Amino acid sequence: MRRDEFTITTLGTQTRKNLYILLAAFFILVQLVWVGLPILMTVLWSLVHPDYPWSYPQMFPEKLSFAQWRFVFRYTNIVRALKTSYSVAPLSVLLAFFLALPTAYALGRKKFAGKKLFMTLVLLPIIMPGMVVALFLSRVFTSFGLAQSFFGLVLAHTLMGLPYMIRVLTTSFEAIPQDVIDAAENLGATSFSKIKDIFLPMVRPGLLAGMVFAFTTSIEEFNLTFIIGTPTFETVPTILYSFLGYNFIRTNASVIALIMMVPNILMLFAVERILKSDYLSASLGKL
Amino acid sequence: MERQRVGFSTYLFLIPGVGFIVLFIGSSIFITITQSFGLFSVTGTSQFTIDHWVALLGDRESLDSVLFSLKMGFLSSAGTILFAFPLALFLRKGGTGKRFLASLVKIPLFIPALVSAFLIINLISYHGIVNEVLVALNLINRPLRMLNDRFGWGVVGIQVWKNVPFVLLILASSLASIRDDTIDAARNLGAGAIQILAKIFIPLAMPGILVSAILMFIKAFGDFAITSVAGPVYPPSIALRMRNTASLFQEWDKAAVLGVIIILTTLVVTWLYAKLAEFVTGGEG
Repeated sequence: MRRDEFTITTLGTQTRKNLYILLAAFFILVQLVWVGLPILMTVLWSLVHPDYPWSYPQMFPEKLSFAQWRFVFRYTNIVRALKTSYSVAPLSVLLAFFLALPTAYALGRKKFAGKKLFMTLVLLPIIMPGMVVALFLSRVFTSFGLAQSFFGLVLAHTLMGLPYMIRVLTTSFEAIPQDVIDAAENLGATSFSKIKDIFLPMVRPGLLAGMVFAFTTSIEEFNLTFIIGTPTFETVPTILYSFLGYNFIRTNASVIALIMMVPNILMLFAVERILKSDYLSASLGKL
Repeated sequence: MERQRVGFSTYLFLIPGVGFIVLFIGSSIFITITQSFGLFSVTGTSQFTIDHWVALLGDRESLDSVLFSLKMGFLSSAGTILFAFPLALFLRKGGTGKRFLASLVKIPLFIPALVSAFLIINLISYHGIVNEVLVALNLINRPLRMLNDRFGWGVVGIQVWKNVPFVLLILASSLASIRDDTIDAARNLGAGAIQILAKIFIPLAMPGILVSAILMFIKAFGDFAITSVAGPVYPPSIALRMRNTASLFQEWDKAAVLGVIIILTTLVVTWLYAKLAEFVTGGEG
């Protein structure tokens, strides 16, 4: 009797293990196609030789070349757009960091009335529909001379990155044990050394995560840039949009799509360790 | 939390962050509302009027846009959760191959929305690989029209592809808070896999499901870029109609009315979510 039971349970675990492997293989296979295929197709499209068009019913392009890449870099505004994108992003991240730091400190470590309300207000840029904000903020910007200006663009991108920065930093400040601060105070730590030796080191992972989110938000920001920045300033997303609109050129769009996503994916793998602790869900899990 | 009483100075700390957000978002909402009533008008005279509201509320085309965007919002959030939930459930506990799977799944999170749109457009276009494969397998006779289709399936597909990892992250954190004891107890009492799913996983993950549903709805309802490249020729999404009304036709007052409609819908849906969340968590969340 006991023996039978034993066999049944081991059999049960064995089937479960097989089932698990089957499931894992299924999910990985589905995801490889789901994520990999669209990217692979884009890579192929970006390498199509201009003299040998890739059309139905060919399964693969006849001849591959880098001609489309050269064309995009030579004859479109991509280089200028890249410069704009990658100078707006760090500036807006920096500004968002300085604006977020005191706010996140108060939200994470102090008790006060209306805290929940403030936590929700912080999410406004994410909750509010982007195009409405873009269109009517552009009217405000126009009256202050900020529309079509570089500084206005930085302000707009800062606005979109702030919610991530504040929420993630707030979660990090909350996580610092009070004991550590009390101990430091008992040992006579000054405010300065408390900031330098406790707060900054302990919020560093969160800070990095917040910066990554704010940075990627800025790189892919479209609505505000499109309304407030173009035509004076073009970023990579607005250029891509122009290639997807009236003059749809698949090969050029492929090149620009790859230019936009490759740095982002590289960054994803660079910060994998941070993402694993799920800062995004911890900070956005509640409205 | 610090024990000493905090005074007025704490609120000063909030000014840089919260103040910045409230100033910019608040002023844009203020302008949207006032301009929908004809105040702060750029063109013509500024005068209080409800004409724009009357004109738009009776407008069949605007109604079509609102309905289309609502449809996109609901379908995108339902679709994304449907795809993300099984994955989140599977990734709940560690195991061989899961680290690889988790990184693989997250890739679209870091692919900008417009790029995602383009990637999927390549696949679902008339002679795209999806149609080719379906025709080759004799599943369909003629290629399907999935891009710029009348219903908007192309848009839903793009939204789902892009947002599965985002929803997955939120769902994962609410699933992680479910304790194994609960599941073991249920299993000991004879609960099957389906019962465990229906009675434990889904109810306990409900707060996460609701948050992701609301965030997805807002994203898809107010979408401009994806609908404009992959959506149907008619109707345009409400955000697309609003932008065209403002920028192409220079009818800012009418665009403002559409803006207020978008904001109000977003608020109503968010409020419904809050009520639902209260109901589900018994008022604790």
